[in-house]
Amino acid sequence: MGRTLECVPAGWEKRKGVSGMRAFGLTAYRTQWGVLKTVAVALVITLVTAGCFGAGGGDEGDGATGGAETSEGPVELTFWSWVPDLQKEVDLFEEAHPNIAVKLVNAGTGADEYTKLRTALKAGSGAPDVVQVEFQFIPTFRQIDGLVDLSQYGANEVKDDYADWAWDQVSEGDSVYAIPQDSGPMGLLYRKDIFEKYNLEVPTTWDEFAAEAEKLHKANPDIFMTDFPPSDPGWFTGLLWQNGVRPFEVDGTNVSVSLDDPAVLQVTEFWGDLIDAGLVDTTPDFTNEWYSGLSEGKYASWVSAAWGPVFLQGIAGKTSGKWRVAPLPQWEEGEEVTANWGGSTDAVTTQSDNPEEAAELAIWLNHDPESVAMLNETSFLFPVLESHLESDDFKTKQYPFYGGQEVNEVFIESSNNVDTGFEWSPFQDYVYSQMSTHLSAAIKGEMSYTEAIEDLQSTVAKYAEDQGFTLQQ
Amino acid sequence: MTVQREQTLPAVSGKPSSDSRTKDGKPRGPHRQLGPKLVPYLFLLPFLLLFIFFLILPLVYALGISMFEDRLVGGSVFIGAENYLRAFRDQAFLDGVGRMLLFGVVQVPIMLALALTFALILESGLVRFRKFFRLAIFLPYAIPSVVAALTWGYLYGPTFGPFTQAAEFLNITPPRFLSEAGMLPSLGNIVTWEFTGYNMIILYAALQAVPPELREASSVDGATGWQIARYIKIPLIAPALVLTTVFSIIGTLQLFNEPSIMGAIAPTVIQNDYTPNLYAYNLAFQNQQYNFSAAISFALGFIVFVGSFTFMTAMNRRNAT
Amino acid sequence: MVQASVTDRPPVLRHRNSSRNIATLVMLLFLVYFFLPLFWLVVSSTKTNSQLFSSFGLWVASTINIVENVRDVFAYDDGVYLTWLLNTAQYAVISAVGAAFLATLSGYAFAKFRFRGRNTAFAAILGSIMVPQTALVIPTYLLLSKIGLINTPLAVILPSLVNPLGVYLMRVYSEQSVPDELIDAARVDGAGELRIFWSVAFRILTPGFVTVLLLSFVATWNNYFLPLTVLSEPTLYPVTVGLAAWNDLASASGAAQALYTLVITGALIAILPLIAAFLFLQRYWQGGLTFGSVK
Repeated sequence: MGRTLECVPAGWEKRKGVSGMRAFGLTAYRTQWGVLKTVAVALVITLVTAGCFGAGGGDEGDGATGGAETSEGPVELTFWSWVPDLQKEVDLFEEAHPNIAVKLVNAGTGADEYTKLRTALKAGSGAPDVVQVEFQFIPTFRQIDGLVDLSQYGANEVKDDYADWAWDQVSEGDSVYAIPQDSGPMGLLYRKDIFEKYNLEVPTTWDEFAAEAEKLHKANPDIFMTDFPPSDPGWFTGLLWQNGVRPFEVDGTNVSVSLDDPAVLQVTEFWGDLIDAGLVDTTPDFTNEWYSGLSEGKYASWVSAAWGPVFLQGIAGKTSGKWRVAPLPQWEEGEEVTANWGGSTDAVTTQSDNPEEAAELAIWLNHDPESVAMLNETSFLFPVLESHLESDDFKTKQYPFYGGQEVNEVFIESSNNVDTGFEWSPFQDYVYSQMSTHLSAAIKGEMSYTEAIEDLQSTVAKYAEDQGFTLQQ
Repeated sequence: MTVQREQTLPAVSGKPSSDSRTKDGKPRGPHRQLGPKLVPYLFLLPFLLLFIFFLILPLVYALGISMFEDRLVGGSVFIGAENYLRAFRDQAFLDGVGRMLLFGVVQVPIMLALALTFALILESGLVRFRKFFRLAIFLPYAIPSVVAALTWGYLYGPTFGPFTQAAEFLNITPPRFLSEAGMLPSLGNIVTWEFTGYNMIILYAALQAVPPELREASSVDGATGWQIARYIKIPLIAPALVLTTVFSIIGTLQLFNEPSIMGAIAPTVIQNDYTPNLYAYNLAFQNQQYNFSAAISFALGFIVFVGSFTFMTAMNRRNAT
Repeated sequence: MVQASVTDRPPVLRHRNSSRNIATLVMLLFLVYFFLPLFWLVVSSTKTNSQLFSSFGLWVASTINIVENVRDVFAYDDGVYLTWLLNTAQYAVISAVGAAFLATLSGYAFAKFRFRGRNTAFAAILGSIMVPQTALVIPTYLLLSKIGLINTPLAVILPSLVNPLGVYLMRVYSEQSVPDELIDAARVDGAGELRIFWSVAFRILTPGFVTVLLLSFVATWNNYFLPLTVLSEPTLYPVTVGLAAWNDLASASGAAQALYTLVITGALIAILPLIAAFLFLQRYWQGGLTFGSVK
């Protein structure tokens, strides 16, 4: 009795007496006072239990959990992809492969899907047979042994049918870790009406781009030449790629990190100067403010990629007919170097019980002419298959939103000029997050653009070392 | 007399109730067929099973991995408490905690003051359409926080947001909701909007339990509405106020959805480590540092515990004297 | 009898009409604040994608598109939205009823019995609120996958049945509303403990039960993180995860699609059942939160 009373402050009891009520309001405080003492005890107990637990934290065995199908009946494959309307292509595949049944699942777009995939790989089960992965994350999933080498299932036979740079992205030597599906060779979307109104030339070099930006700003300070999205490292990496930057070279557990190379500094300082001079906006892309900006004439251009034109139609409907497409400006007059932003691949996961059939799905879907045509026409994917890229129908398609321009032609040219040999890191999420953090810090003025890049380099290099990689210089 | 009193008191925190009678030797009669000792366990069993499986086990597991270091190359090594030592020296984590404390010190009192005021006004019958107001203020609680944050994020827009446009129309400087300085208040506004109604309902409910006789007595004594509120109602609902404060402290330190959504529209201001919970999440899913992330989560849990505990001890002292 | 003490009592003090009017006016101003985001949601659901980004946000655009938007929401992707809505309803109803029932059972046990481990168990339950959910994502996934529940409705429902706050509330509510004398009287009459709970205590506990039910209902209805990680199939998604997936399609570099009208209209529709639930159960939940109003 005395023990329990300790927990109840005297004044409290008295007040209860005064009120004469059995209870009023919530007795929260009195309850928790006693209770919290024991919470501490519970925590200690948990700690002790965890001590005995330890070793379970590491590996979780390899995932042979999915009940292997008996050989009777069709093989069933699960396929994660966020491509819209993909079911039609999958139906085609099933028609052509009566022994394979495919269950198409949209497990989320980009990061959401990767979170699931990663958790499933960690848990040892739950991953699909075939999975959509963007180019930049292939090495990341390879690093955690998530992807199957498809060369053993004949992937190299189709190698020559794809754009060189794209195949380069999915393979290493003779090993193939995914089949390219679509791409985003970069180009410049611009407002013809704004350019005409302010007498601007369509820039062919970045220097011209900067000069026109200044001219525009003088003529009308409310309009920006374009927007520099601080939270889109994929876009920024595209610009680096174009300038010949090779931020990572990976060889097993040896990694070299060159995020501070002069070409990186050149690109960063170029944009930094434009931002500091107020010639370029810094609104995050794919947000309300940004869409409104594109739709309301706040931006005279959008440095975009091959999938951009169709997307823009959907959000800036009222500017129809005013946009045109031009090749990406160059660093050197007369050059024709471009880069890729976006696009993805289909890969087979190491949890697949039927990797051969899974590989067939990944290859067929992105190689069969009918399927590839559908991907392009109904899902608006920009193709990587040479035969489709070069077909006349595709090349000469006219887009009323762009004043009837044959938009694809510009991007086909761009696709042919994408620099090969660009490599991604095996921890690309980290690199992307650090890249936006550092660019943001520079935009805010917390450090100069040069300092941001130097700091980015050392941060990423340190992370690589902490993760057990050997740094190469 | 003592026994009599025991029976009327609720059994809280080890206060003996029913079984004190067994100690007194009072027979319980022939109804013991279920085995009275087992009964409470049977009642608790379904909940406890699920609780152990879906809360304790995952927690123990998380605690386990927090004592390891798992690298991309080289696998997993036991490192004991090192992740925790690192957590409490980690500037990003400490800054996040500091930011949330600052946030809480301002936002929680404002929200609870609003909630209390609404509760008092609605309860006193000072306004018309009480049921309508009560529901309307509570309504935001039913909106998913993701939708709430997206909506406010749009309203805050620095160029095309309606506030900005209205300000420009009136030729005044538009407030910069998404700037470095504006972000904490902007987040505070979202949280206040979401949870004022919820807290109001709890306080309102507690107020309704204040015996009418007390109020009648005081109004006969000539006390004004304000005096009744200040000296009778508010002290009587102190436990409910403490409860709402503690939950608000917990909620503040664990803030996640709102800053994560605002991060998409203001990435230069809200970075990966803006709040401790956001930091833990990004460590796990972006940096693949699951172990350190788990340690950060427990460190945060510890701080939440200390925070709530300190607050309650302080209240306890104040009430005891 | 419980409800009676909860519904609006006539004000004890008679206020002059003028002060009532001023207070009402002030409250109306606050009402604008609380309704503002909802107003935006409603207005936006009447717009086309392009109008969303090219007209003033707090007023309707030149054309009202709400009928088409609602139709599109239910037609897109073979009407998957309706599936999401039904899933959400299923998860929320089962979880809410289950969680409220388990919480009532446990809360009652904590309140009315003395037993070994009571304080420890209760402390652990309350303490668990303090550890952030992010720490639990991966372990929960691992556990669910070990027992083969990943990508099934149970993966969402089972964890949602655990509502520590509900146990706490039901304990307080039981302590305050169920008199010990009543239980003792029933015991003397020879009733078993389970029967006492069912036929005596549970009736008194109903308002508390409904409150916990509603709180769990809202929590599950609006839950995003758990279903996002444990479900991978869109036909199993609740509406929150589905809408987020639509929203994300816009920023998928590659096959990007702007589905904002669908997201906004879908979000608005998803809130309606919650509002309805609160309206219909109003007198219960407000009663339930009045812990201790029973004499």
